[in-house]
Amino acid sequence: MSDERIQIETPFAFNEENQREFDELIGRYPVKEAAMLPTLHLAQRQAGYITPAVMKYVAKLLEVTVMKVKDVVTFYPMFFEEPVGEYVIRVCHTLPCALRDCKVVLDHLKAKLETDIASETNLAKGTTADGKFTLMKVECLASCDVAPVIMINDDLYKNLTPEKVDEILDNLDNL
Amino acid sequence: MVEERRILYEHLDVPDINTFDVFRQYDGYTRFEKAIAEYQPDDIAKMVMDSGLKGRGGAGFSTGLKWSFVPRDIKPCYLCCNADESEPGTFSNRYVLEKNPHLLIEGILICCYAMGIETTYVYIRGEFTLGKRMLDAAIKEAYEKGYLGKDVRGTGLNIDIYTHPGAGAYICGEETGLIESLEGKRGQPRNKPPFPAVEGVFSKPTVVQNVETLCNLPFIVGNGVEWYTKMGPTYADTREDPPKADPNTGTKLYCISGDVNEPGVYELELGLTCTELIEVAGGLRGEEVKAVIPGGSSAPILTHYELDTRLDFTSLTLAKSMLGSGGIIVMNETRNIVDCLLNIMKFYAHESCGQCTPCRWGTPWVRDIVQRIADGEGRQDTITRPKFGVTESGRWGDTGETEEIYEDLDLLESVANNIANVDTMTWNTICVFGIAVSWPAVSYMRKFRPEFEAAIREGKLVTLPVAEATVPPEENYAYQQRFIPKEFADL
Ligand SMILES: Cc1cc2nc3c(=O)[nH]c(=O)nc-3n(C[C@H](O)[C@H](O)[C@H](O)COP(=O)(O)O)c2cc1C
Ligand code: SF4
Ligand code: FES
Repeated sequence: MSDERIQIETPFAFNEENQREFDELIGRYPVKEAAMLPTLHLAQRQAGYITPAVMKYVAKLLEVTVMKVKDVVTFYPMFFEEPVGEYVIRVCHTLPCALRDCKVVLDHLKAKLETDIASETNLAKGTTADGKFTLMKVECLASCDVAPVIMINDDLYKNLTPEKVDEILDNLDNL
Repeated sequence: MVEERRILYEHLDVPDINTFDVFRQYDGYTRFEKAIAEYQPDDIAKMVMDSGLKGRGGAGFSTGLKWSFVPRDIKPCYLCCNADESEPGTFSNRYVLEKNPHLLIEGILICCYAMGIETTYVYIRGEFTLGKRMLDAAIKEAYEKGYLGKDVRGTGLNIDIYTHPGAGAYICGEETGLIESLEGKRGQPRNKPPFPAVEGVFSKPTVVQNVETLCNLPFIVGNGVEWYTKMGPTYADTREDPPKADPNTGTKLYCISGDVNEPGVYELELGLTCTELIEVAGGLRGEEVKAVIPGGSSAPILTHYELDTRLDFTSLTLAKSMLGSGGIIVMNETRNIVDCLLNIMKFYAHESCGQCTPCRWGTPWVRDIVQRIADGEGRQDTITRPKFGVTESGRWGDTGETEEIYEDLDLLESVANNIANVDTMTWNTICVFGIAVSWPAVSYMRKFRPEFEAAIREGKLVTLPVAEATVPPEENYAYQQRFIPKEFADL
């Protein structure tokens, strides 16, 4: 029990490029704390997910308590506190997409990737064994005219069918 | 057939309109130049007031009036552009950001000039990575060309625009939630008053405005108030004497999705009917319209009896629904309303920010009741309760009779009405998310009660034919209470 609690963390610090971006960001706001969301986005892009070390680092940068950073991280669904796959697949399942059969797309992805759907508190559940994909459901992505839609990392894919999903996944590695 | 009236979207599909040079060829920034050359800031504010422009983000509040609440002597004052677009069924802001970001910048510039604002934050939802990239690139260009930054075009104005990414929370679209989020906190809405216009971001006066609202400004300044007010109906509020003008001017970017042949964004003058809009969007996919959601998922549903309702702020409010964000979702005869409500309630249960007890607990509770009904486990016991309907005096109210209703339907209505009461329009929650939950819950249940009852009775989801699933007009609370406004032209 007690052994599990001792975690050796890899310390975190921005790389040069992100540090530059951060320096530019921080000048936009009259108080440092306001840079919280963009800073966390930067950190997550570099570290993959928000580790305790990241929170400590961000807290120091923005001159707030670690608790405040944690408070924010837990509120927003886009920040992960656990490792996720190389490709995060977000499947929209709100009404307009549901009317256009998003369930077929979701079931197809589940079968193809042989994984369950991640929940906000259990990302591992939706992550493939090889750590390549994380499958999750999200709410309306503001593209209901081209429903059903999914997002893979930063890119949106529209008017999906199981065949199109196959094609997209097969081509991912060549991007 | 109603014609599209493209104004905001007119040049949307011009190749490279996202670059400064091409935008400039299509009158880009000339309206801002006209504003600073020909008008004083107060003139612009007056023009916006006279244009009758109403906010396009959801509340439909008069933009000119909102600006008039901002104290002019407290500086700095901020502008927050709301590009959080997360209301299910809404997708018009996305295209502006991705394809024509300079138009938004021009709108922001005009607002900043009118209100004496130096700093603008554009709060973009986290998933709009392309939109943010395009806007960032356009902002960079505008700085290079001298339309942003210190001493804009030699006028002595200093105007900065920054983009700020959200991180996937719907509630950050609510204006005070947005402000909290912008300050680097959890996006939990604040109590009002004080309203953001008086005390907003960083405790300073703040104007919060939707992308579409701001994009209207260049056209109001460029073409004049008279040109603008010719579009859309101006109603006469005949309950007052003399009748008060209620403008629904301009165009609206109607987002239509669901069971139509050509879903998409259609820019039309305000005031066309549901039926007309479905026709514009390529007609219905299916045999018959079962239901239409007129203003994003938060809006009360309309039945096929109510399709003659005009899609504008006033008409929909008087029909006990709302135009909201202008996201229209159409459902055909194959859809099950219980299933649709379940989908929407899952959305709200997921998105409640958790500050207020009625909302935090009530929303998942409503979801669970609908889930139970959808699973065929709805409670069978019937409850006798007062029957509401048209009373002897001709009004809607307690008829003195009683009716039998399934326990779970009574519970559903009671829980929803305790989050926010749709009949009295009162609530004990901090923000109007509460009413956005109970509106759909109660309206779907009351207007399509036979389908809910069938699911409970049969122990499974049953999709009834449209005529049977819908409560007839004489029992439909909204149909009975609706008030069809008259245009000044018809008086
Ligand atoms: C729960 C909730 C979500 C909202 N989401 C949005 C949104 O995504 N985009 C938006 O522009 N307004 C949204 N609003 C409306 C804003 O609170 C606010 O009224 C609007 O941004 C004001 O701008 P406008 O006057 O230009 O419409 C939302 C309101 C509520 C209560
Ligand atoms: S009504 Fe709901 S969403 Fe709004 S502040 Fe309260 S808990 Fe949060
Ligand atoms: S519901 Fe899927 S994009 Fe809107």
